[in-house]
Amino acid sequence: MVMNLTQLFQRTGLLIRFNLKRDWVKLVLWIVIMASLLTAVAAKFDTIYSDQTAINEIIKTLKTPAMVSLFGAFTAQHPYTTAKVFATEMVVFMALFMVIMNIMIGVAATRGDEDDGLLELIRAHAVGRGAPLLAGAVELTLLNGLIGLLFSLGLQVAGMPGADTTGNWLIGLALAALGWAFGMLTLVVAQLANNASGATMLSYAILGVMYVVRMSTDVSHPKLTWWIPFGWIEKISAYQANHWLPVIAYVLFGLVCLVLALGLSLQRDLGAGLITVRQGRQRASRWLRGPVSLLWRQSRGVIIAWIIGNLILGVAYGSVFNTIGDLAKSNPMIKQLLGATALASANRLIVKNFIAILAVVMVIVALIAAVQLMLKLVSDENKGYLHQISATATSRWHVWASYTGWAMLTSIVVLFAGLGGMYLMGAADMKDPISWLTYWHVFLAYVPAMLVMIAFASLLTGWLPKWRYLAWAWVAYAFFSLYLGNLIDLPKWAKHLTPLGFVNKVPLKAVVWSTNWWCLALTVLILVVAAIGYRRRDLAQ
Amino acid sequence: MSKQAPVLEVTHLQKRFGKFNALKDIDFAIYPGEVFGFIGPNGAGKSTTIRILLGILRASGGSATIFGQDVWHDSVAIHQRIAYVPGDVYLWPNLSGGEVIDLFLKLNGEKHSAHTDELIKKFALDPRKKARTYSKGNRQKVALIAAFSTDADFYIFDEPTSGLDPLNEQTFQNEVLKLKQRGKSVLLSSHILSEVEKMCDRIGIIREGQVVETGTLAEMRHLTRTTVDVQTKQVLDGIDQLPGVHGMTVKSGPNHVSLAVDADQLTAVMAFLTARELVSLTTTPPTLEDLFMRYYEKNGQTPDGK
Repeated sequence: MVMNLTQLFQRTGLLIRFNLKRDWVKLVLWIVIMASLLTAVAAKFDTIYSDQTAINEIIKTLKTPAMVSLFGAFTAQHPYTTAKVFATEMVVFMALFMVIMNIMIGVAATRGDEDDGLLELIRAHAVGRGAPLLAGAVELTLLNGLIGLLFSLGLQVAGMPGADTTGNWLIGLALAALGWAFGMLTLVVAQLANNASGATMLSYAILGVMYVVRMSTDVSHPKLTWWIPFGWIEKISAYQANHWLPVIAYVLFGLVCLVLALGLSLQRDLGAGLITVRQGRQRASRWLRGPVSLLWRQSRGVIIAWIIGNLILGVAYGSVFNTIGDLAKSNPMIKQLLGATALASANRLIVKNFIAILAVVMVIVALIAAVQLMLKLVSDENKGYLHQISATATSRWHVWASYTGWAMLTSIVVLFAGLGGMYLMGAADMKDPISWLTYWHVFLAYVPAMLVMIAFASLLTGWLPKWRYLAWAWVAYAFFSLYLGNLIDLPKWAKHLTPLGFVNKVPLKAVVWSTNWWCLALTVLILVVAAIGYRRRDLAQ
Repeated sequence: MSKQAPVLEVTHLQKRFGKFNALKDIDFAIYPGEVFGFIGPNGAGKSTTIRILLGILRASGGSATIFGQDVWHDSVAIHQRIAYVPGDVYLWPNLSGGEVIDLFLKLNGEKHSAHTDELIKKFALDPRKKARTYSKGNRQKVALIAAFSTDADFYIFDEPTSGLDPLNEQTFQNEVLKLKQRGKSVLLSSHILSEVEKMCDRIGIIREGQVVETGTLAEMRHLTRTTVDVQTKQVLDGIDQLPGVHGMTVKSGPNHVSLAVDADQLTAVMAFLTARELVSLTTTPPTLEDLFMRYYEKNGQTPDGK
């Protein structure tokens, strides 16, 4: 048995070194961005929430159901400190990014190599059958460990009022443990799906479901959040009780996943998944006749998944409107003070405020779907799919326009589905539902700004295909600046680094048509330049 | 044949990737009804040339025309009348082979025909499998079936048979011959020299981004050496001193030697041999492989003296 094990994992060390050499740019970028983001925000908290009034003010906000749904239940006790506010605001946010990082790296390091046929070459050498997967697992362990360490050190350096060494280490290590556990879960998923994009989609679906479920349990019964692994991170109670149980739970969860992934990987064939491939069609359908329908045929599963995903997210958010928009529930006196009509309008204002914040999440989801589709243009070129299309009587413009068109259309429909989900659930559930017009205004306000960002991704595919990942960086920055911008007091110019930062706070304020028009004009301009670039350049090979 | 206007004409074609000169000077032409063999070592620039012809890459200098139209500016009009099979066929993993074939046909404004079904049968392809599960050979068959069932005027094959079994390779050769009979032009880039020898009317040899030789196989043979295995009654002293004789090796005794002779010295050498009374004589014309080796070696030198 011992012999077998050494054989099974032979040359794992070599593969780890190889993986690190291959991925080091990606890893260093993630480490630097994540660690500096957390440290910079922590350092800034000193100045934003320096006096007790500011702290008390923000705590009132954080206790509202709307904020709870975004950042998790507020459990900190008196006396409130800057550090406690930080722990509440930042932990769930950073956890989201930790999971996304682990999904991206985990899938690429295991299933991605397999898709490219690299794994077949590696396995033909004197390398153990379990070695590639174990090497991937070790890579993730090192990555998460290092980031966790830097988080803790960063918090120590930032030295927020109310922070203590135990809390600093707890936050760093808990985030590392959560990231690692989800990395291991990704490795399991990578064994179930039969290709990298399937594994990625499935992993994000799991994250999405967990995020939505923890949101509704946080708002209704915080204790139930213990049932969702993603929610464990909220239970660490840093700078307060300092619970280490979630950290242990993540480590155990990750270990179980690792063993499961190894077991599954030894069971299955190379290049196959546990989900089997069905037989295809004998002949193409009438509709499949050009780049436009081809892209739909290839990506319809993904596009529909995004639409349904955002619809469900919208429904989930809509389901808490009733709780959020009921001031009388937390304060029975308020009804007598305000009177029924004033109370109703105050309630509506709260929900509208919440919708304004959620709109950002909806827009980002729509953007992720669109940018993914847009950049597929370059990855399909790299994979050689588009060379044969180019050799037929299909113009470059036609190919470029179908990817750009689908990306834009997808973003619009995904956003619409999200807002529609909120509306439908709100209409079914609320005593005093918000009218459709409110959502429609949100939709109108964000679409043009969103299109500018997709046009930018299209521009990169046309002129700088190697730099296409900048489009992701921009989306990530947009999410950061809109989700956390107000809470960390981001200066106006920093919010204006994305077109979304120019959008008025709809539905609290009106749609600004001048902004919409210049965004649309800018979109058209960028698209023209992008199309010229795509027609001029060599295809990637 | 060469009186007609060429289907394809490439003059002084150049391509740079950054500082690297992938193509330095490519010149050749293909005429209607001709099968043109394009051979050269790996990395010589065959696929780069073909990609420029398809408008996938943009030339840095020189000109290339197909049907008299510029390959970059008029690519769509040209593609309407050509069919292409790349060396590495990549197909959308979630589409079936049958779907891909139909799609390629439609992209050129054509339809799935009885001929398509016939080709599917000939190449023994299961069109219902998803492309994800096809082997390299099966992916090539998908592209070949689509190309052969397209009614084009010019066919471009870039190492199309590298993954095919001998049976399918035979089918491929038969189909190319049928195209030729119908007066179509074909550009065939290949490493399988027997295939090129059997099918091509003319051959172009490319090395380090330059076309070093073009012509018919017969024309090229003049440029190289015939291998002679000869046994005589009298001793063959001094034969290695004759002009045009290379790499003589003694076989069984001084009367039996093997040597290579330059084409233009063949008469003189034969006279020398006849004078020494022949016992047996075998001559082997240079194969394409010999030609190939000769051009592939750096500076055209051949180590074995052939």
